[in-house]
Amino acid sequence: MSVWQEKLPQSNTWLIGISGRLDQSLTPKLEETLNALLDNGHVALVVDLTHATYINSGGLRCLVSAWRKAKAGDGTLTLCGLNNRLQEIFAMVGFDKVFTILDDCATARGQARQGVRS
Amino acid sequence: MASGDMAREQVLVVPGRYKEIKRICEFIAAGAADAGFDANTIFHLELCCDEASTNIIEHAYGDEGVGDIAISYAVEDDGFTIVLRDTGQAFDPGDVPPPPAISGTAMPADELADQMRIGGLGLHFIRNLMDEVTYTADRRHGNRLVMVKKLHKDGDP
Repeated sequence: MSVWQEKLPQSNTWLIGISGRLDQSLTPKLEETLNALLDNGHVALVVDLTHATYINSGGLRCLVSAWRKAKAGDGTLTLCGLNNRLQEIFAMVGFDKVFTILDDCATARGQARQGVRS
Repeated sequence: MASGDMAREQVLVVPGRYKEIKRICEFIAAGAADAGFDANTIFHLELCCDEASTNIIEHAYGDEGVGDIAISYAVEDDGFTIVLRDTGQAFDPGDVPPPPAISGTAMPADELADQMRIGGLGLHFIRNLMDEVTYTADRRHGNRLVMVKKLHKDGDP
């Protein structure tokens, strides 16, 4: 279970990755990571959920909160790599329409390099 | 509950703390796997128990470490019955309106995010993913949330 971050090359975008269950034990760490980036003015964010095996409402709220802060700073928060289970959960509460969700994180990386504002 | 079912009922009692919710999920996941549910349904059951437990800590007890959460499950012929019990304030999930814009109506994302209510999201999952949800509260026995998931025979073996 971990949260990591990397600045994507040739861009101003930061990618935040999550491995494990996005629940009460991991969400605070993700929240801290996202807030630290946002507080430092990094508002182009990609959250890689390829290795996220679970999410609950607290995890969703954390992502929505970061999305709002990014948007308030004229930035973006894109999600990528959601498995079918996570996609279903996002759709169930209408969040598939809130977030830009890319199937493939390689696409998200490519878009960041080309400066595409999703 | 019929006495004949008692032998098949499994019970876990944990302190009402967020870090204990993982144990609740594992307990339910193991029982659901034994009952023959597929991995996707097990994920849904874990999510519902997670959300219900979170609501107990946040709303019934109002904080961590105030009281215990008792969770049990029983496998019957046609269903998997989960019961969550606590001794906190009554918190009827039926009183919480569903989050707006769930129906797919076009609502600006900002508005959707604004209108989320504490507990509403979790309850929305419970309502959507479980086949039956009932809540009872009385002073003597505490609060009792019963969630039933049908065992669909036409699915996985």
